[in-house]
Amino acid sequence: MRTTALATAGIVAVAALALSGCSADSADESGPVTITYTNFISNDGNEENLQTIVDAFEKENPDITVEVTTLPYADYGTALQTDLAAGTVSDMFDIEYANYAQYQANGVLAELPVANPDAYRQSLLEAYQTDGTQYALPSSFSTVVLYYNSDLFDAAGLDYPTADWTWSDEQAAAEKLTDAAAGVWGDHQPVSFYEFYKVLAQNGGEFLDDSGTKVAFNSPEGIEAAQWLVGKSGTVMPTIEQGQGTPDFDTNLFKDGKLAMLHTGIWVFGAVADVPFGWDIAVEPGNTEQASAVFSNAVGVSSGSKHPEAAAKFAEFLTSSDTMVQTRLDSGWELPPISDEAALATYLEQGDPANRQAVFDSLDGIALPPVVAEGQQEMQDIMTEELVEAQAGRKTVEEALASAEERINAVIGG
Amino acid sequence: MTALLGEAAADVGDGDRHVGAPVARPPRTRRSRRIRYTLTVLAFLLPSAIPIVLFVLGPMVAAAWISLTEWNLLSPAKWVGFENYANLLTDPETAEIFLHTVYYIVGYLPLVYLGGLAIALGLNTALRGRTLLRGVYFLPVVTSWIVVALVWRWLLNPVNGVVNTVLAFFGIEGPGWWADPAWAMPSIILASAWKDLGFVMVILLAGLQSIDPELLDAARVDGAGWWRRLFSVTLPLLSPATFFVIVISLINGFQVFDQVYAMTGGGPGGASQVVVQQIYDLTFRYGKAGEASALSWLLFIVILAVTVVQIRGQRKWVNYG
Amino acid sequence: MADTTTAVDGVASGSRARRPARTPAARAALGRSIALHVVIVVGALLMFFPFYWTLVTSLSPGSGLTSTPSLLPADPGLEAYVQLFSQLPFARVVGNSLLLAVITTLVQLVTSATAAYAFSRLPFPGRTLVFGIYLATMMIPLQVLVVPLFAELKAFGLVDTYLGALLPTFAAAFGIFLLRQAMNQVPVELDEAASIDGAGHFRIFWTVVLPNIRPAIATLAVFAFMGSWNSFLWPLVVLRSPELQTLPVALAGLQGQYTTQWDIVMAGSVISILPMLAIYLFAQKYVIQGVANTGLK
Repeated sequence: MRTTALATAGIVAVAALALSGCSADSADESGPVTITYTNFISNDGNEENLQTIVDAFEKENPDITVEVTTLPYADYGTALQTDLAAGTVSDMFDIEYANYAQYQANGVLAELPVANPDAYRQSLLEAYQTDGTQYALPSSFSTVVLYYNSDLFDAAGLDYPTADWTWSDEQAAAEKLTDAAAGVWGDHQPVSFYEFYKVLAQNGGEFLDDSGTKVAFNSPEGIEAAQWLVGKSGTVMPTIEQGQGTPDFDTNLFKDGKLAMLHTGIWVFGAVADVPFGWDIAVEPGNTEQASAVFSNAVGVSSGSKHPEAAAKFAEFLTSSDTMVQTRLDSGWELPPISDEAALATYLEQGDPANRQAVFDSLDGIALPPVVAEGQQEMQDIMTEELVEAQAGRKTVEEALASAEERINAVIGG
Repeated sequence: MTALLGEAAADVGDGDRHVGAPVARPPRTRRSRRIRYTLTVLAFLLPSAIPIVLFVLGPMVAAAWISLTEWNLLSPAKWVGFENYANLLTDPETAEIFLHTVYYIVGYLPLVYLGGLAIALGLNTALRGRTLLRGVYFLPVVTSWIVVALVWRWLLNPVNGVVNTVLAFFGIEGPGWWADPAWAMPSIILASAWKDLGFVMVILLAGLQSIDPELLDAARVDGAGWWRRLFSVTLPLLSPATFFVIVISLINGFQVFDQVYAMTGGGPGGASQVVVQQIYDLTFRYGKAGEASALSWLLFIVILAVTVVQIRGQRKWVNYG
Repeated sequence: MADTTTAVDGVASGSRARRPARTPAARAALGRSIALHVVIVVGALLMFFPFYWTLVTSLSPGSGLTSTPSLLPADPGLEAYVQLFSQLPFARVVGNSLLLAVITTLVQLVTSATAAYAFSRLPFPGRTLVFGIYLATMMIPLQVLVVPLFAELKAFGLVDTYLGALLPTFAAAFGIFLLRQAMNQVPVELDEAASIDGAGHFRIFWTVVLPNIRPAIATLAVFAFMGSWNSFLWPLVVLRSPELQTLPVALAGLQGQYTTQWDIVMAGSVISILPMLAIYLFAQKYVIQGVANTGLK
């Protein structure tokens, strides 16, 4: 008896999995519809701001009701994967740029026609196209810039960083600003995949070759870029043993006035707003080219959605409507992905840092993370691990890149 | 697997106790007595058997099926037979993560058991504020690993951590702890044993509280000293609780994950990567649910084998009084 | 009473040792008692420190995680708690977590006690095999069961319901094993005496065996409650409506995509620890009384 019950339970579970793929019924777009939207972008403080946008949309479209579910960012992937596996995914869901290719290649995303493509910043919109077809819409972006403590620069008698700086300017300043006796460090830049692909672009290198299934970073440009990144550790930047790499270590060091330059995203404006010293930002220095990291979130429509048209309508409203722009600017939520810089004018006058223009200037040369259809996360993990090995001195930069090349090719090689 | 279990099962019930045939009952036919007894057994067993079959064994069977496929959770699963197992068994990384896991257990188990026993013995005395102290020792058990990991990373900081500062005072140069591949696992072991001391304490305290004080008094009258009473009275009577702690700690130890994730993330350079972290990464981050399920079943076989050895060995030392 | 001087008797004889005429034995006992107190209290400080640090960080508004924890809040205030209560629908998530934990605990006590009784007192063919299978359910990591389990509950129409979150927690091998070990230590002579008085298995279970394993039952209650109260992965996956969210999932939401407000995370951590501590202390009282009341031993 027990064996039978067990077999039944197993069969139910297996059958449920097997059936989960086919959930889409015939589309029914007449009459009132309810669409579901699972997001992480509003998590941690912007839930009401998202609701404002939803309310405005429902007012304009009385036939459509939007049901919102908000999940913590850190575990969003786990929940989304489970939903996709079991066929319970919402009509719309958030994705990050780095995961876009993987979802698109697996047919999870529906085509997403855009009524007014000109409203979007083109580089961001194109990031979510595959073979000329739009599969997701960017909902926001953040960039990474160079923060600096102007008091420390004044004390050392140095000029402030500008958009014209290159690595050698940064290097020279960092060395002069580092004062081991006083516990003051010149520079901080995380040693990770997300920094490496960017410094690689700043040095004119490529992460992937044209096939997209082989890496190309084990090149003279790549070695020089990795050297630049890991060489800071222990010279102008604290080592891992000294705490580098622990959560918030870098922002705290900056807030304590013990860090002259910091490479991080514009999302810490709020955290450093009240420091008792002068600070500002500049576009990150490049070497042979200028390239800034842009992080962007997007929203996609599920290929299994029963209401793709209503969902597409809300997706466009959520990512380009005036209500959205106003709500985001008023609340200091991440920047809207729109092309009309005049609409963003108020952002420039919101106080420290003074040089907010650098946020938009950094978009002139952007480096998007390399994306692969299979093995994205594993590729990122391997890259970070190997770079940290080089940072800790357990491998030379050449050894680390060679090892990363071999391991990553094995993962993404189709 | 069933054969393996069956063999072990022959020994599982070493401590079985049961009442002999009912004595003062009105005479019944043998058949009706047997039906009645079967119904009694079912009544006691079904409340747990139904949820376990439906919500654990069922998904386990499904996981076994998934382990024979290649599945990224997004596209339909593809049947590959035993390919996942073959890949895992030939991949040197598999042996590595199992070795790390065993290393963890070998370091963790003696520390946490002896520490937990010492605390349980110490707090089973007429100490003032005993209840409060027990609460304090229980605190780490209920504190989340996020917090515990932050604190231990600070205590074990190679440059300015408390531990290395104290060691330096005695003229010893402290190791690199979590930043050093050779010391990452010892760091995790220390933090885990510290956190779980309260768990072992609670189980052993419950055992100690069931020990008849008269037995200890009798031993004292006979002139047995403290150590003698510990080894000839307390520990034998505590052996069922000890057996429980060891079996559970081994089962849980093989599935160590949270602390590794929070303290080292498997690093540096993969030096503390353990089996379940790999399973989590494969399922939810790397899109390899088939391989993850296969790895889980390999882990299952290892844990099962170790548990069977435990159970077979228990008659030598576990004393059900 | 069973709780007083079982293993380390040095403390009890300590009072005697304060008399002027000190025998060498009494002096040794006093020394042992002092050593024991010192060790226990120092140990307790080591145990208490991380919680204390959590508390201090939660009371230091706007502070990030400093690389060196400070012993006193820099600029003490309750802002983190105020923000926590305004950011989370607190009453609701705590209520959900409590509801799930209480139901899980009660049901697990029933399923564990009955199963343990069967494994300890009711021989039947294949019993040891069944017990082995129960134990085996602890040997597969939850991470690989989540997806099939979710698909199964979807087939039952139980996704996003309390019942869906609860069902898989209704029986756990941990509790069955714990109670079986305790029941095996209850002398079988007690059963036999009751049986001679005409008691059937249900009466023996209820009036003889259960009262004699109170410490184990209280221990299981603590762990069952804790397991449910802290459980994360399954509630995250199966409960999606904001009205159904549990505390650990809500607290995880305090860590953002790019930044984390540590003072608020720590405040949430303090708030999730306190009920568990209260339950443990309450269970301890119950254990001690329980043992005192049974009159056994």
